Amino acid sequence: MPLFRFDNFGHFRPDSLSWVMAGLILFVVVNVLAYSNRYLAGDKNQPRHRRYVLLLAASVMAMVFADHLLVLLAGWAMSNLLLVMLMIHKDHWRAARNSGLLALRTFGFGFVVLGMGFWLLAESAGTASIGSIVQGTSEPTTMHLVALLLIAIAALTQSAAWPFHRWLTSSLNSPTPVSALMHAGLVNGGGFLLVRFAPLFATQSVLLHGLFLAGLITAVVGSFWKLLQTDIKRMLACSTMGQMGFMLMQCGMGLFAPAISHLCWHGLFKAYLFLSAGSVVHDKRTGIATQLSPPRILFACLAGLCGAFAFTLTSGTGLSFADTSSLMIALAFMASTQLAVGLLGKPLSSSRVLSTFLVGAGSGGMYGLSIRLVESSLSSLHAIQPQPMDAVYFAGIAAIFLVWMAMILNLPARFQSRTTWKRLYMAAINASQPHPQTVTASRTAYKS
Amino acid sequence: MNVVALPQKRMLPVTPVEAISIKEMVASATNIVAPVWPLKTFIAVNPLQGLEHLPFEQAVLEAERQRAASSDASTGREAVNRELIKWCSAYFDEGQATISMPGREDGLYRVFSDLARFDTRLNRSRADDIVLASLPDTPEDAIAECLEQIEIIEDHKEEFIRQALAALPGWSGYVKWKENWQTPAEHAKRPSTLVDYVAVRMVLTRLLWPEASLAESLDTPKPIFLSELTVREAQFRKSLLDELLTQVIAAKSPQSSRPDAQLVFCIDVRSEPFRRALEAQGNYDTLGFAGFFGLPVQVKGLDDDQPHDSCPVLLKPRHLVCDHAVDSDTSCVRRHDQGRSLLKMPKSFYQWLKYNFATPFALVEMLGPWLGMRMLARTFAPSLISGLAETTRVMVMPPVPTVPALEGIELSQQADYGESALRMMGLTENLAPLVVLCGHGSSTNNNAYASALDCGACGGNHGGSNARILAAILNSPPVRSLLADRGLAIPSDTLFVAAAHDTTTDHVELYEPRGVSVQQQEMLNSLRADLSKARIANAKARTATFGLHMLRDDMAIQETQRRSSDWAEVRPEWGLARNAAFIVGPRELTKSVNLKGRCFLHSYDWKNDTAGKFLTTILTAPMVVAQWINSQYLFSTLDNVAYGAGSKVTQNVTGKLGVMQGNASDLMHGLPLQSVFAGDGEPYHEPLRLLTVVYAPREMLDRVIQTQDVLIKLFGNGWVTLACIDPTNNQAHLLQRDFKWVSAS
Repeated sequence: MPLFRFDNFGHFRPDSLSWVMAGLILFVVVNVLAYSNRYLAGDKNQPRHRRYVLLLAASVMAMVFADHLLVLLAGWAMSNLLLVMLMIHKDHWRAARNSGLLALRTFGFGFVVLGMGFWLLAESAGTASIGSIVQGTSEPTTMHLVALLLIAIAALTQSAAWPFHRWLTSSLNSPTPVSALMHAGLVNGGGFLLVRFAPLFATQSVLLHGLFLAGLITAVVGSFWKLLQTDIKRMLACSTMGQMGFMLMQCGMGLFAPAISHLCWHGLFKAYLFLSAGSVVHDKRTGIATQLSPPRILFACLAGLCGAFAFTLTSGTGLSFADTSSLMIALAFMASTQLAVGLLGKPLSSSRVLSTFLVGAGSGGMYGLSIRLVESSLSSLHAIQPQPMDAVYFAGIAAIFLVWMAMILNLPARFQSRTTWKRLYMAAINASQPHPQTVTASRTAYKS
Repeated sequence: MNVVALPQKRMLPVTPVEAISIKEMVASATNIVAPVWPLKTFIAVNPLQGLEHLPFEQAVLEAERQRAASSDASTGREAVNRELIKWCSAYFDEGQATISMPGREDGLYRVFSDLARFDTRLNRSRADDIVLASLPDTPEDAIAECLEQIEIIEDHKEEFIRQALAALPGWSGYVKWKENWQTPAEHAKRPSTLVDYVAVRMVLTRLLWPEASLAESLDTPKPIFLSELTVREAQFRKSLLDELLTQVIAAKSPQSSRPDAQLVFCIDVRSEPFRRALEAQGNYDTLGFAGFFGLPVQVKGLDDDQPHDSCPVLLKPRHLVCDHAVDSDTSCVRRHDQGRSLLKMPKSFYQWLKYNFATPFALVEMLGPWLGMRMLARTFAPSLISGLAETTRVMVMPPVPTVPALEGIELSQQADYGESALRMMGLTENLAPLVVLCGHGSSTNNNAYASALDCGACGGNHGGSNARILAAILNSPPVRSLLADRGLAIPSDTLFVAAAHDTTTDHVELYEPRGVSVQQQEMLNSLRADLSKARIANAKARTATFGLHMLRDDMAIQETQRRSSDWAEVRPEWGLARNAAFIVGPRELTKSVNLKGRCFLHSYDWKNDTAGKFLTTILTAPMVVAQWINSQYLFSTLDNVAYGAGSKVTQNVTGKLGVMQGNASDLMHGLPLQSVFAGDGEPYHEPLRLLTVVYAPREMLDRVIQTQDVLIKLFGNGWVTLACIDPTNNQAHLLQRDFKWVSAS
């Protein structure tokens, strides 16, 4: 069995993807360790927490640098196990234990699926070296396809994609720094896995479309749930779910390097938000104008186009709508238009219009730069091209665009007395509730 | 009354219950919960407030009994709790969700009866749908109907409602706060009463736990801490009174020389160590007074969007005082305002993109690099980053000098406030050339409980504004001439200066008035230098309480700065932990004693208060606030799960109004573990009931207590112990619960 042969190659093979992922994890781990040093001061389980975080860092290193499938699998299993142990920090608290067990069940399923996938992959390629498998030119067989399907499913469990999302939205019985580590690190495992085998996935159009749709559902559902949440941590968790969905959409479109860029920057962003979750009490929201006159809408869209154009320049994507990179161009447009809408809510003046255009272009440009920064360090993925645009991809992008339009037009508020909306609201609230066993239903059930 | 006669398991006498009696039943059942203030203005309360009419021990037992009865983990009760938590957090949200529950302005019960049909966790069958589609119009009817359906007999109803309220004391306490304490304008945005809340709970119970019945309340064993408490209180009382008595006996004749400055601090226990440190630096007198300086005001700073109440929650603010820029030099003000909107901008950009659909996908990549760097800086160099933020703020938005506008307070009223403040603290003669009125507040980072560390007398806000208002009043020539007419002459060379004491770093900011003379300027400079020295001394004492002994001067200061600006710090300062006594009397009584930051100190001279008017005020207002605070710390330490908020490590802020544990839980009211414990199982706060020591003749106290129900309740039921040091014979006496005095020695 090729999966269990260890003899004929080195078991670790650093490449640019390994280094980028390792850099991300180490950065977050260093921050989390220093943060926990004060945040968990006086907590009786602090030493254990510290040990687990260090072990977790080591096992993730093994995973990202692995060349042997079994090493990767072992690193994957170890890091997930350690994450579960970190989640059950307050081990006398039933809800926390249940959160951990729920995650463990999901991870366990993912592990089995991944193990089977790896086994089939090794069988079909005749080797367990990831490097050789990925560079292999053998004709894709059914076994190969099934292997990739299983790997993709494992990736979905890890990245909390719908319908495997519940462990993530029920994970908030964890200490705050553990949540930061989870959302910046472990949840990205799915993305890493897909990109690790990107050359294989890139040729499987059906699989890619499947990933895209799973990502799309997750992105829409997570992003919508996020807007309804009333507590900070569940809001962040639903938001992560949405972001992971977006990252999976990118993978499904063959945009592997942008997906890595997305998971890195999202990781830092989300870790920061978790660590600063105590500030939310005094954080005031500024409203956004909801009624815009036609000239303002026109200006806003023009500013959005500026943003989209600036994005193509800084990211080096090129202004083309023939392939899937137009997803990001559309996003740059939406973000820049959104900022413009906000800025144009105040009385118009020429300087305000000018600054609106500058802000629009600037934000699109910043988006492009961030992506380029990560992409340029991912030399190994340069060969992979975005997929050609087709009806499925287009419909997906259009769906996102339409929901965004609905928000710009403030439809939820306008339709809030409609029965359909009430039904949708309650359904979303219920679906986004944590698993009942992970809720501390009576006060005495909490154990510090 | 539309009690529908649905098929019943057992025939019950269907007694039409008048709506009014349901209301009364709920009202009388609410004694089991105490109001819970939102985190923005955290107010310490006695969690057993509704039981204060009972003797302390009995109240504790009663609360334990209720808690045991309403927290046995039956599946039905847990399901009801879970759904109620879901509904409450969605309904009461103060701005976390971008898309809120629809129709919240109609009131809790109405929204619930409108939406519940669409909740598939409640609407699980045809029968459920019928119930939910025909919910009564009023919450009272709903309660009555549900009680019938759950088959609760008449005699059990009130107790059943009480258990319903006690099941999630955090959320029901929050509703109690909304009903009784929130301003009407704010309340109207999400109206709700405890009747609404009980109605929702009853409907949930009927659907999810129809077999519910009155839980049997077994007598719980007497908690061990009760006997321990009395022993420790006696020890503390003896050592404190002994120390104070030596001061009385050694009391010298009142000094007649004029001090360089008199500084008035809040009665807060954190003032005492700082006052001691400052007195050691020079010829300074310090006094203690409630930190809102007797002003029932709402204040609005120059940069505030909204005014806030800045007085004890027991008072209704009577005046709005806004800050305005000192001179009409508009270019300066304009620059300030422009800077302010400039500073707001990045935050607006961020929020526009974040609280929306799809745009967050781009936002995280735009800001990822920046937030990564900020994370590193805030974790490894917190003081540096907060210093940089402050420098930037000052550069972009240069501060403009402001004064509080007193137009809202009539002149005679201003004089009244000035007069009663000075007389109550006994500062009527020998006024120093400088009289500093020092409010206080904390400065902490990423701390959901920030306002719990601020001035309780100012409603959980910083107290600097009130100090500035009183200083402006007392510096005003017309007020001074009115006061002179009333026999309270303020020397013409006396200057009142407002200040703010940062209780986290011990930095004192002096709000220097404009147009001071050269001589006054010199005095202020030397005061400033002494305040810095006091800061160092107190920082060393403070760091020792964190286990860092014998730090060098600069290290101690750095450590307090770090704690104040560190986003990972769970114990930025100890707040009012270890508070134990409230001492009413002149500073001479306590000046040479190290009270270790455990005492509220209220200045008082009984000789100026023959009618006992001021003493009445002190005992019924500041002392009651002190008792609320004391009980909050006491119970949060005794049982941090029932009365406290649990560990900060897993806390989750919900609705921007309170804290849950983890995924979802009851609103965890009270203080977090880290505020009262140095480590797991290692309490820092020593739970002791408040000991009030008054330096005044016994007869005077007797007269005051007789007329005040609140004092009869607190002293008579053992919630507060009163000790009197009688100046006529220098003896200490204790008031017993039967209101007889016994010798304390």
